[in-house]
Parts: sequence; C-alpha cells; structure tokens
Amino acid sequence: MVLEVKNITKRFGGITALKNISFTIQQGEIYGLIGPNGAGKTTMFNCITNIVEPTEGEIFFNGEKITKLKPYKITEKGICRTYQNIRLFPQMTALQNVMVGGHSRISAGVFRSVIRTKSQKQEEKLLKEKSEELLELVGLGQLKDQFAENLAYGQQRRLEIARALASNPTLLLLDEPAAGMNETETDNLFDLIKKIQSMGITVLIIEHDMSLVMRLCDRITVLNFGEKLAEGTPDEIQNNEAVIEAYLGKEEEETIA
Amino acid sequence: MLIEQLINGITLGSIYAIVALGFTLVFGVLGIINMAHGEIFMVGAFIGVLTTSVLGWPLWLAFLASIVVTSLLGYLLEIFSLRPLRGKKGVSHLAPLISTIGVSIFLENLSHHMFGAGNKPFRTAFAEIRFEIGSITIYLVQITIFVISVILMVGLSVWLSKTKAGKALRATAENLETASILGVDTKKIITLTVIIASGMGGIAGILVGMAFNSVSPQMGLSMGLKGLAIIILGGMGNVKGAMVGGLILGLSETLLVAYGDSGYRDAIAFIMIILILLIRPQGIFGSKTAEGR
Amino acid sequence: MLGELLNPYYLQVLCFILINIMLALSIYVPLSSGQLSLGSAGFMGIGAYTSALLTIHYELPLYVTILVGALLAGVIGIIVGIPSLRLTGVYLAIATLGFGEVIRVLFVNWESLTKGSVGLTGIPQLGRELLKFAKSIGIEPSALGLKNNQFVYLSLVIVLLIIVLFILWFVIRQQNSRIGRAYSSIQMDEKAAESMGINITYYKVLAFAQGAFIAGLAGALFAHTIGYISPSDFSYHRAVEILIFTVFGGSEVIIGSVFGATILTLLPEVLRFVSDYRYIFYGIMLVILMAVRPQGILDLYLFYRLKGKRIKRGTS
Repeated sequence: MVLEVKNITKRFGGITALKNISFTIQQGEIYGLIGPNGAGKTTMFNCITNIVEPTEGEIFFNGEKITKLKPYKITEKGICRTYQNIRLFPQMTALQNVMVGGHSRISAGVFRSVIRTKSQKQEEKLLKEKSEELLELVGLGQLKDQFAENLAYGQQRRLEIARALASNPTLLLLDEPAAGMNETETDNLFDLIKKIQSMGITVLIIEHDMSLVMRLCDRITVLNFGEKLAEGTPDEIQNNEAVIEAYLGKEEEETIA
Repeated sequence: MLIEQLINGITLGSIYAIVALGFTLVFGVLGIINMAHGEIFMVGAFIGVLTTSVLGWPLWLAFLASIVVTSLLGYLLEIFSLRPLRGKKGVSHLAPLISTIGVSIFLENLSHHMFGAGNKPFRTAFAEIRFEIGSITIYLVQITIFVISVILMVGLSVWLSKTKAGKALRATAENLETASILGVDTKKIITLTVIIASGMGGIAGILVGMAFNSVSPQMGLSMGLKGLAIIILGGMGNVKGAMVGGLILGLSETLLVAYGDSGYRDAIAFIMIILILLIRPQGIFGSKTAEGR
Repeated sequence: MLGELLNPYYLQVLCFILINIMLALSIYVPLSSGQLSLGSAGFMGIGAYTSALLTIHYELPLYVTILVGALLAGVIGIIVGIPSLRLTGVYLAIATLGFGEVIRVLFVNWESLTKGSVGLTGIPQLGRELLKFAKSIGIEPSALGLKNNQFVYLSLVIVLLIIVLFILWFVIRQQNSRIGRAYSSIQMDEKAAESMGINITYYKVLAFAQGAFIAGLAGALFAHTIGYISPSDFSYHRAVEILIFTVFGGSEVIIGSVFGATILTLLPEVLRFVSDYRYIFYGIMLVILMAVRPQGILDLYLFYRLKGKRIKRGTS
C-alpha cells in the first residue's frame, strides 16, 4: 500500500469541500480520481501534499503518517505533483526547471556549492544528465535551453511532468495532464504515463478525458460534491448506476467507447 | 496639561489621517505605493506660503490655489510616471515604486532650488486666534484642522458609497479588468483617483503650514514615511483605517514628546508598524491577507 | 609614470564605486529569492557603527572589527528575516524601510555610545593602516614611485576590489548551484518551489541574512574609508539610493547591480557641470527609465544573448 487516505474532511469556512473521503493506492497502480468540476479533486491533491491542511482525517504514505508534514518534506518522502494551471518557473530554461525538481535529491549547501567540491560537481553532473534524460523522455530534449514561458502549452504540461519526475517520486500526482491537448498529444501522454508506470512509479491522476482515464487506470474513485460516490475498476465504474446518473449520464454515449 | 496635549495630538493625527487617505486611495485602486505623495503634500504647503505671505492672498484663496496646483501635479504624475507602466508586460511591482521615487526626488530638489533649503515661516493672522477655556488654550486653527479632516473623511466615504463615480472607483479597486468589462472607464477613474489623492495632500500641506508656522522642502519625506506607516497600521486601502491610524500615531507622538523621550518620536511610527505587521499583518481594519501585489 | 596617473580624487571615487557595488549586491541577493528588502541602509549602519566603535574603544585590528560588524549585521538579518517571512512585496519593503529608520533613530538617540547626530569621528582609516603595515614590513611607497597619499588610496582600492571580486565570485557560484536554483524558483513561484521539495523558510532567511551581511560589510568598509560616520549616512535616502543602483542596472541579473552602482556613482561626478540641478535630472531620468525599460538597463534576455544563446522574449 503506497498511499492510504483515511477519513479526510476539508472545510473552507462553511463549505465542505471534502467529506470523509477514504481510499488506498497499491504499489505500481495508476489510480484515477474523477468527478465533475468542483467535486474536490484538486483539494484532495492539496491535502495530500499539505498545501492546504485537512480539517479532519489522516494520510499515510508507505505506512508513515504525513498529514502534518510541511509540503517540502512530503516531496522529500517521495510524493510530487503537477498543477492543473501550469506552474512552471517561467524565466528558467526547461533544463533548469527540471533541475529544480531534483533539489531534494542532492545535498550541497552554501559552502560546497561555492567551493565546488568534488562531490558537489559529481552530484550536479549526475542531476544534469538525469534531467536531460527526463527531458528526452517527455520529448523536450531539443528544447532544453528554451525559457519555460516560451514553450507551447502541451510542451509546458510535459515539462511539468519531467520536473516532478526529477524529484524521484514513488508516487506521482498528475492534475489534469491532458487538459487542452489534441488527440495525438493525448495518445503520446498515454504512452508517457504507461512508461512512467513501467519505471515503478505509482500514479494518481485527475483527468476529465474519460476515454483516457478508462484506458489508463487500474482503479478509480469518483467524487461528487466532496463525497465519494464510487470506487472500482473502470468496468465497475462505467456500470455503476449512481455514477452514470450523477456524472456520466449525459456524456455516456459520446465519451465511453 | 493632558487635555492640551490631547488636543495637539488630535490635530496632528487629523493631518496624518488626511495624508494617509491620499496613500490609501491610490493603493486601493492601483495597488501601488505613491512614493511622491509626501512631496506633493510639501508643494501644497509651499503654495500656501507663497500665496499668503508673498502675494498677500486671503486664506481661502490660498487653499484653492494649493488644491489646484497639487491636483495638477497628481494629473502629471499619472500621465508621466504611472500610466506608461500600466498593463505592460514584464513590469514588476518595483517599477511604479521607483518611478514615483523619481518624481519625489525631482519635486524635493526643485523646491530646494526655488525656495532654498531652510524653513519658511508661514504666518497668517488666522493662526493667532485662540480661545481660553479655564486654563486650556485652544487655537482656532486646531479646530479648523479637525473639522476639515472630518469633513474630508465623511465626504470621501459618502462619495465612495453613494455616487456613481465613487462606486465606479470602488469597482475599479476591486478588480480592474472586471470593472472595465462592466463599462467603467477605468482610465478616467484612475486619473480621478490620483488627482483627488493629490489634492488632499495639498490640503494637508497647507494645514500643516498653518499649524506649525513653517514649511521646508524636507517636510515631504518624513510626512510621507509616516503616511506609509499609517496605512499599514490601519489596513491598506482602508478609509476608516487611515483616520484611526492617523489619530493613534498623532496622539502617541504628542504624548511621547510631552511625557517621554522626544528623541524617539520619529521611530514610533515604524516601531508600531513592525509590531502590527507581526501581530496582525492586514492592519487594524484590513481584511485581506498581507499579500503583495 | 604610474605615480602621476594616480589622482587621489579618482581613486576615492573608485572606492565609493566599489562600496556601492557591495551595497547594490546586498539588495540583489534577497531580491533574487523574491524578497524586496529596503533594510540595507540599516544593516550598513550596524556594520559601520560596530566596527568603528570596536576600533575606537578597544583598538582591535581592522580586519577583526570589520568582520565582526558584518557578522553582527548578518545575525540581526536572521532575527529580522524570520518574522519578515510573513510579509511579501510592498509590505516587506515598507517594514524593512521602517527597520532602517528605527536603527537610524537609535543611532541618533543612543548618545552615550554613538555621539548622537554628530556621529563618530577619528575612525581609523583602512588605507592609512595599510600604509603603516607596509612600512612596518619595510615597504616604502617611494620605492614604488608613489607618494604616501597615493599609496593610501591605491592600497585601499586594491583591498576593496579584492573584496568585491570575492563577493561577486561567491554570489555567481552560488547562483549556478542548488542554492541559486532554489532562490530563483522561490522568486518565480513560491508555492511551486515548495512542492518541488524546497524548504522556502530556510532559503528566504538565508538570502535575507546574506544581504544583511554584505550590507554590514560594506558599511564597515565605508566607515574605515571616510573616517567619520553619522546617522544621516544611513537614512532613507541611502536606502533608496541603494535600491536604485540595483533596479537601474537591472535586477534580474547580477551584472545589473555592478553596472547600476558604477554608472550612478559616476553620474553625479560627471554631471558636475550642472552641479545644482543634478538631482533634478536624476529624478527625471528614473521616471523615463521606468517608462521605457522597467526591468532595468540589463536583463535576462540580453544576458543570455551575450552568452550566445538564442532565446527570444516571448509574448506569453
């Protein structure tokens, strides 16, 4: 069990964004989190990475409680994420962006960074090589010296994934990675996520593109208005009465092939 | 006498409040700090000296002249140092800060040339009128200052909440883009805001000249810094906060000078804001978090 | 002949350029982590007074007192930096400006120690100490073809230059490393930086304290360069002047601080022919600069182009 979310509730003022949500993710899975807009999916991500603190409940990562940890500590433990509205470092090159992602995997402090000790040079070299590999993996090898702000939209999304991978996560959280992508790009993304899975990384994904979710995910949790509506394999979800009614109903024919 | 000190403190505080209102209006609408506001205030004070002492105009005309000149300065400030920066890509929040600092350096040194470095006396017969109630002496100027500041405060609040232009201004302060979609002429509103703020600075300038009988090119700086401190104390962009913050600062300075160590007078404002920023970063009346824009 | 080219006046201007470069860097470093600190004048004052008082009262060697002054400024930087984490943007700028004013008022009023607004005089000058030292080990300026006066200033310039080069070396190396990447990522998007495993509290306080240390060092060197200091040397005007060095030159790149401090220190000297009007021009120039080139004279794109990489400023 990589991640265990236990009875998480999050209230903002009088609004309950998440109500008593629990689910578990197994090692090596691709796990989907779906639901209509405003269902609380991104809030769930924010709770896992502790960008917002859950009002009630606990989250365990590899058996260790992470609910009260600072966000950077959680990244150090091996959870990294991307954002729904891309949050790259705009005036850094693609390569620099990815290298920032590797921050917690190298250790040089001020002294070693300035003196440039042998070990510091070695770790910088390794990080650079690894970052370039990751850029190749997401198909941005040619663009490594371009500023992030000058990349096309789909490229920025892939750069964010590369940046997150640089932190060596065991659990990768993807927030709507296919948003704004065309069919070819989405197919490439499918291959990329499968490749990430084959690297031994567990993936938790929020996505609106149902055909992608159903092809990709091993299991899925459906949220609706902050409550858990259903959990199961793609087949089970597609045949779940409540889900069809609340969420898939009107789109059923066009999106679920 | 405690009561006399309180009256002095309220007088001083009222002037601080008017200066702070100018800062708060511009910050509320544009989200920037107008570092030249103190110098516009100083110019207002000099116009007062020039018109009454040199030209021998009556006081009401001096007020009018001061308001006209400082409003014009506000207009020029908007045209030359604020408008060119607006909506441009790659403009950080540093740019308007530096640009208005440029205007303040320009105005301070220009006045230095025209009027000399020292203090200029500001004498009007009006400033000598006083009442004796028991053992307490109250100057008519002090009452005038208080009344004018209350009128400005109430007038501004009413104008902001009741009139169409005032509502447009608040909409612009809330969200510039939305306001402009809703048909508010934001360019006009912004210009109007800077003009009103500057005009109020002019009024404060002439009042200070009357209250303390002297003006100098350097007076803009210390007043400007205190105005900044007050809007942080009262909450950025908050009209009520500016009034209360001004009074708190005016009273504590006066009481410190009367009963404590006058040397630290100029530090009070900043010790206060450092404390308030640590305890309640949004200010006494502020509701937003202390996020920079 | 070397001796004739070394005009003490030019050398002194050079000293001020070098000190101002340090001051500009003291703003640049916290700014590179997204913190606009206007406290440099205050930290400069702490360094200057500490070192000056230690040499006057305890006759300690200058290299010790200067270092103590800088370290004290750095420690106070940590103390001020931690609560300041709650503030961003304009709020941080005003609070740090306030800190500087409080320090200045303290110098004015703590008369038993600081001699109040009159200030401290008779502070040992670094150049003269270097001359004494040179003579003590048997080097006579005349042997180098220099007058004593020239030797004093020349040795001072060399020492300051070495310190500036060291700071530049330090900051540039730091910038191209894990630490520098952490700083810029915090500057560009604090939340995203934290999600990437960066301890933003640590790095922001580190950058703030480094800025304070550099300002304190510059202040101590300033005191031992001119030999007398007073609270007005560390006022609002100084704080603004330092900020303008950095912003004028371009706050995105380190070379901008060097460039800005150099040009703006020279400018009043060059503008001597309009002597009395020079600050009026200065004000106008700032307004025009912000309207035309708000990012400063030098920026990141220019910097990369000079390095031969083809990067265009995007429209996004």
